[in-house]
Amino acid sequence: MSDRMTDVIPTDGRTLGRCICIITGASKGFGRALAHQVCCWLKPGSVLLLVARSETLLQELKEELKGFAVEQQLLVNCIVADLSTQKGVNEAVRVARLESEKENDHVLLINNAASLGDISQFSSFTDLDVVNSYMSLNISSALVLTAGMLQVFPRRPGLRWTVVNLSSVFATEALPSWVLYCTAKAARKMMFSVLAVGEPNVRVLSYSPGPLDTGMQKDILRMTGVDNHPFPCKDSAVKLMKLLLDDDFASGTHIDFFSV
Amino acid sequence: MSSTELTRTDLGRALCIITGASRGFGRTVAREMSRLVKPGSALVLAARSADDLRALKVELAESEAGRAGLVVECVVADLGEVGGLESVVRASEEAFSEHMDHIILFNNAASLGDVSRYTQSFTNMAEVDSYLSLNVSSSLCLTARVLQAFPQRPGVRRTVVNISSLCALQPFRSWVLYCTGKAARDMMFKVLAEEEPDLRVLNYAPGPLDTAMQTEARFRTADPSLRKSYLDMFAQSQLLSCETSCAKLTKLLLEDTYTSGAHVDFYEL
Repeated sequence: MSDRMTDVIPTDGRTLGRCICIITGASKGFGRALAHQVCCWLKPGSVLLLVARSETLLQELKEELKGFAVEQQLLVNCIVADLSTQKGVNEAVRVARLESEKENDHVLLINNAASLGDISQFSSFTDLDVVNSYMSLNISSALVLTAGMLQVFPRRPGLRWTVVNLSSVFATEALPSWVLYCTAKAARKMMFSVLAVGEPNVRVLSYSPGPLDTGMQKDILRMTGVDNHPFPCKDSAVKLMKLLLDDDFASGTHIDFFSV
Repeated sequence: MSSTELTRTDLGRALCIITGASRGFGRTVAREMSRLVKPGSALVLAARSADDLRALKVELAESEAGRAGLVVECVVADLGEVGGLESVVRASEEAFSEHMDHIILFNNAASLGDVSRYTQSFTNMAEVDSYLSLNVSSSLCLTARVLQAFPQRPGVRRTVVNISSLCALQPFRSWVLYCTGKAARDMMFKVLAEEEPDLRVLNYAPGPLDTAMQTEARFRTADPSLRKSYLDMFAQSQLLSCETSCAKLTKLLLEDTYTSGAHVDFYEL
């Protein structure tokens, strides 16, 4: 299995444990790459919950992971849900709750689902409904889903809890015409920092993955003409795995791909 | 302005739009602005409370500036609702006159959010959406509308102020909504500053003010040590009057040397 992460990082027995891993926005792009990578590190009996809106793409992904799942005794479930709605979040939480009876030693929630939004002059954002809709998907949804999962899996001794916020350099760097994206990423960075200071038993990581070879990056190129020289999602997913396996980041910290 | 020029002593013939103007810091800003703008200026004061706005309008009408002809328009509006923004913009367009040389927008209206609960309790999307609508989206849309209504033109300065907070920079237990909203706003206005070099944009953190919002913080904060620090501040008279903080804000605006998009805290000055 030559494209296994084990070629890239040393194996010294570290794993993500017997884990319930939830990945949002799992059907495409970075979320999909993460699903592939995370499988390498889940111990038998783990559960991987893949959340996205597209049933077709999720089923495809599940099929791709079938070999791994069988070999490593993982349960892979697809949750078709629109996380910009209460209904969608409730559905994801409901399915996760079904798994909460199991003897898992790690809950790993990866808040990856996001949208680019319109890249346009600040003064063009005059429609409150449009802006609200964007903030709902990119800020509210991550908070409400994380809160729901925290309630489903209460903190207890022997249970590792990790929350990842997929962030961006634009959480801290202001870029003209990018007000929606920058605002939401800055909001999320703070939101997860507050979670970190409030929950000492939850390991919180904001990870900025770098410019990735995804549909979102294609949209960026189309809308702005800027080529950010994206690299494969897999490379960044591998680095995130290393951070999670090393597990020595300070909770609440914001780490960029280029600094790992 | 070069360093050899004197600091202005007034804010020009201005159109001053202030949200959350009926009480607290917004009301103090309205009073201060009335004293700092030249004759021929107008204040547009937006808030939800018609009674409080009316009382403020009467007070300003009876002030020296009022008697010299300062126009004060009150707009009763909930900025978290679509219609609210439009009514503020319309009133601003009506209050504007061609000899004005300064447009100042104070994005001050805000709410604390429920600080009696920890992060894991925020499972209701409608609550979070509603909070973000008032505290984040409305300031983006209002500012965008005002900039559209009053595009750049020679001889007219435009200033946008965001009332920020230490919470924009530092996370506090049980304050997830407020910290998130303030961090979002700071970034929003930094983007604006980057985009529009002719605009003066200021993220002003006023310090701990002695207002109704502070009282709410003091009584409802869930985190025991944070709550204690608010109680102590009150008990030790460390809260700032709105006037004290507003004086520093006006100094910043008159000197007009701050870096556009910067976060400036009361205690830095």
